Amino acid sequence: MDTSQLLKGVLDLAVLAVLRKDDGYGYDVVRRLRAGGLNDVGDASVYGTLRRLYNAGMLTSYVVPSEEGPHRKYYSINETGRARLAESRETWRSFASTLDGLLEEVAA
Amino acid sequence: MNTQALGVEYYLAGMRAALDDLPPNEVAEIMEDVEAHVAELSTELGENETLEQRLGSPEQYAQELRQAAGYPPRTERLPVTTKKQLVTRPRVAAWGLAIATAVTLLAGTAVLRQSAILLLPAVLLVLSLALVHDRGPAQQEIMDLPETRKIQQWLTPEEGTPGERALTYLKSLQPAWWLARAGLLGLGAVLLASRDILGFLFIAGIAVLSVFAGPRAKVDRRWLWFSLPASALAIGLLFQVIDVTANNLAYSSSRQVYQPPAMQSYENIYAYDENGKLLTNVLLYDQDGNPINAPRQYYGCNGDDPQPMIPANRYPRPKIDYENGSCYTVAPSVVAPSSTESAPPSSSGSAPSNSVAPTSVSPSK
Repeated sequence: MDTSQLLKGVLDLAVLAVLRKDDGYGYDVVRRLRAGGLNDVGDASVYGTLRRLYNAGMLTSYVVPSEEGPHRKYYSINETGRARLAESRETWRSFASTLDGLLEEVAA
Repeated sequence: MNTQALGVEYYLAGMRAALDDLPPNEVAEIMEDVEAHVAELSTELGENETLEQRLGSPEQYAQELRQAAGYPPRTERLPVTTKKQLVTRPRVAAWGLAIATAVTLLAGTAVLRQSAILLLPAVLLVLSLALVHDRGPAQQEIMDLPETRKIQQWLTPEEGTPGERALTYLKSLQPAWWLARAGLLGLGAVLLASRDILGFLFIAGIAVLSVFAGPRAKVDRRWLWFSLPASALAIGLLFQVIDVTANNLAYSSSRQVYQPPAMQSYENIYAYDENGKLLTNVLLYDQDGNPINAPRQYYGCNGDDPQPMIPANRYPRPKIDYENGSCYTVAPSVVAPSSTESAPPSSSGSAPSNSVAPTSVSPSK
């Protein structure tokens, strides 16, 4: 099964999760997701997701100047984002256990 | 397509084109992320790797980003006419900034005489910034204008050249300039304080804000609409202060050359009553009761003590006669003034007659 299809539904959750502890700029977030095991995540999808979460008011951003190259725009999670993260986590847990249950029956 | 030829700028331009149906401020935000991304990626690329191989074509990248961000699919929006247009908002804004900065420099040299002149560049700045304020802090569209690119090329000489070293050194002085700028503006404000309170407040406000504007403009280019003219104003003020100081120096040095005319001196006083009659034995005192003694010199008297005139404030004084080499005092011979209104006698009357040597009328202090 193509995991990129699965990823689309949960990328919000994944991005919020890796921003939970530390602020990060776009490529930072991409790296954290890959380091966490999401190897198939597309750069552009992450950047798009960041924009969507930002426009939905779950992230704030600030620019940090860089000596070489363009400035980096850091995103940080705010209270709305944290609430959404907690809520999505519960949804994901129950969904995953439901699916686990279904798959157990198939296997049995 | 020749993917090898795709540079960072080309890639970004392709992305911008693929997103140009979105609101400009949203595009600006996206491009801020993407520029940093592409720049960082390009440093990681291998020898024969291209951005396209890593990220897909700009159009694919944009398409994936649009989907993830939940933007509507691409709509064709006058792609030809918007690209060929010469007069665009970023271009007008950039030229507005340049012209306003130049005007501020000129205005700065006259601002101490007429501070209201600053309103002209201020209006220009507000209007030109309003055109592009929604395009985000990076102002990438302005940075992509051909004229801006030319300036950037000039400002980034090849590494190792003297020009590059000089520029690097100048850049290291920037924070010092921000302070100097605030100082110059503050000086200008203080010079205005006594006669132009509005001008004082205006320039003092600019001085205070300019301290923050320098570092802010590094992050948000929209602050350049404040920072650049503030620098121009500071330089203009510097010129004016130098000009005024130079004039003062020239004035004070000219004073040393040309002595002011000495005060008119007198050595005798003739008092007349309202009928034009000469008064004799008049005693003159000042407001403190001190006798008023006309200066009198006794050059040319040979040893003999000229009869002292006591009291010395009794007028008219006797004249000194230098005949025969010794000094005598003789009674004044005075012609009464023709009119009672003109109090002092004519010069022929007041000047001691032919018996007095010229040395006796030389001015004294």
